[in-house]
Amino acid sequence: MDEIFIAHRLLDEQILDSEGRRCGRVDDIELSGSPPRITALLVGEGLYPRRLPQRLRGLARRAFGVERWGANAMRVPWEEVDEVNAAVHLRGKAEELGLGAGDDPEKWMVRRLPWN
Amino acid sequence: MKTILKIALGIIAAIGGFLDIGDLVFNTQAGALYRYDLLWAVVLGTLGIAVYAEMSGRVAAVSGRPVFDVIRMRLGFGFGLVALVASTVVNLLTVAAELGGIAIVLQLLFDAEFSMFVVVGTISLIAIVALLPFGAIERLFGYGGLLIAVLIATAIHQHPDWSAVANGFVPSFSSSALYLYFVVGVFAAALMPYEVHFYSSGAIEEGWTESNLNENRLNAILGYALGGVFAVALVVVSGYLFHPLGVEPNDLGTVALPAQGAFGETGLLLALGGILFCVGGAAIDSSFAASYNLAQFLGWEWGRYRGPKGAPRATVSWLIFLFLALLIVESGINPVEITEYSVVFSVVALPLTYLPILMIAGDRSFMGKHANGRFAATLGWAYFAVIVVLALAAIPLLLATNAGGG
Repeated sequence: MDEIFIAHRLLDEQILDSEGRRCGRVDDIELSGSPPRITALLVGEGLYPRRLPQRLRGLARRAFGVERWGANAMRVPWEEVDEVNAAVHLRGKAEELGLGAGDDPEKWMVRRLPWN
Repeated sequence: MKTILKIALGIIAAIGGFLDIGDLVFNTQAGALYRYDLLWAVVLGTLGIAVYAEMSGRVAAVSGRPVFDVIRMRLGFGFGLVALVASTVVNLLTVAAELGGIAIVLQLLFDAEFSMFVVVGTISLIAIVALLPFGAIERLFGYGGLLIAVLIATAIHQHPDWSAVANGFVPSFSSSALYLYFVVGVFAAALMPYEVHFYSSGAIEEGWTESNLNENRLNAILGYALGGVFAVALVVVSGYLFHPLGVEPNDLGTVALPAQGAFGETGLLLALGGILFCVGGAAIDSSFAASYNLAQFLGWEWGRYRGPKGAPRATVSWLIFLFLALLIVESGINPVEITEYSVVFSVVALPLTYLPILMIAGDRSFMGKHANGRFAATLGWAYFAVIVVLALAAIPLLLATNAGGG
C-alpha cells in the first residue's frame, strides 16, 4: 500500500541529475514483485501515449512516436535515485543514464544551433 | 535598507509591467461605450490577478515549483496536456497581439509599413533578450511602462465628475449582452494567465526562497494595486473624452489621444512611449511564458539563467513561438481583433491553470506553515467561482455580440 502511495507521489515529478540539470519527468513507474516494489522510473516521450485514454493513443503515437526502449523510453533503475523532495534527484549525470538528450550539448542537433 | 530599495524597485517594475494590449484595448473601449460603469470590473480583475500571483509566487518560493510543474503534478499527464495546449494557444495569440501593438506604435511614431515594423519589433525583442540578463529585461520594460502615468495626470487634468467616477466602482448589471461581454473582457484583460506563468517562473529564475515571501506579498498587493490605478485611468480618460462623442476606439493609437488633448504633443509622445514599453514587455513575458510552460510540462531544461546553451530546447521553442506569432500578425488580421480573442479565450482556459495552484497553495504537505490560511483560502476559492462563471459565459457572449462588434 505504501509503495503505491509513493509511486503516486513520484509520478509526473521533475527529475534532476547529479549536477542539478533538469532531464525529464517521471512519465511512468515500474513496479515488480509481490508485494510490489518500485524497481525503476520510466522516462521519455515514447511513454506519453500510454498516459492517455485508449482511444487517443493511436494519435499520440503519431505525435510522440512509438515506444522504443533505449531511445524515446528510458529505464532509470531505482538504485540511481538519490533523494526525493520537490524533485527527484539522481546519483549520476543525465547523459550516463541516457536522459536529457534533447538538451545535451554533445548531440549534433544542439551543436548546430547558431549560438553554440 | 538595501533590501527595501530592491523590493521598492521590484514593485515599481511590477506597476509599469501591469498593463498590456488587452487592458489598453478593452478598458479604452469600455470607457467609450459605458463611461465609468465598468470600473468595478477593473477592480475585480485586478484583485483577482493579485490573489493568483501571490499564491503562485508563494508556491514557487516555498516549494520551488513553477506553475506548469504544479499542473503536471496535480492534473497528471492527460488533463495537464489539455491545460498546456489551451494555455499555449492563448499565449501565442497574446504574443501576436502584443507584437501587433508594437508595430502599431512604431508606425504612429515613424511613418512606414506596418508589416515591416512587425519584423523590426520582433528582431529588437530578440536582441534585447540576447543581450540583457533576466532582471534587467524586467526593469527596462517595467520602468519604461511607467511613462503611461501620463494618463493618470490626464485624468486629473480633465476634471471629470469624480462622484460619477466613484459610482462606477459599485457593481452594476445590465441584461445587455454587450455590457456583459465587456465585464468579461475587462476582468480577463486584468487577469491574463501568462502574467502569472511568467511571474512564478521568474521567481525560480531569481532563485526565490522562503526569505522572499515578503517581497512576493508586497509585489502582489502594492505592485498590482498601483498597476490597477493605471487600468482605472484608462477607463476614466476614455469615458471622459470618447463617451460623450460616441466614438468607438478601434485602434491602439486612440488610447494615447486623451494625453494629447491634455498636454499636447509631449503628452502624446509620453503615452505612446509608455504603450510601447508596456506591449514590448508583455510580448517578452507572454512568449517566455509559452516556452516556460512547455519546458516545465515536458521536464526540459529552461531558464534565462541557464543561457541558450544550457537550455537549447526551451530557447528554440521560444524562437518558434515568436516566429509563429509573427506569422499570425503578418496574416493581416487586425491586431485589435487578435487582442480580443486572446483575452476572451484566456478566461476560458484560466480555470485549468488556476485550480492546481489553489490546491497546492492550500496543501500543508507541500507548503508547511506557508499554506493558505483561512483568509487566503476563502479569497482563492471565491475567485475560482468567479473565474468558472466567466469562463462559461465568455464564448456565448463572444458569439452573441460578434466579438464586441454589436
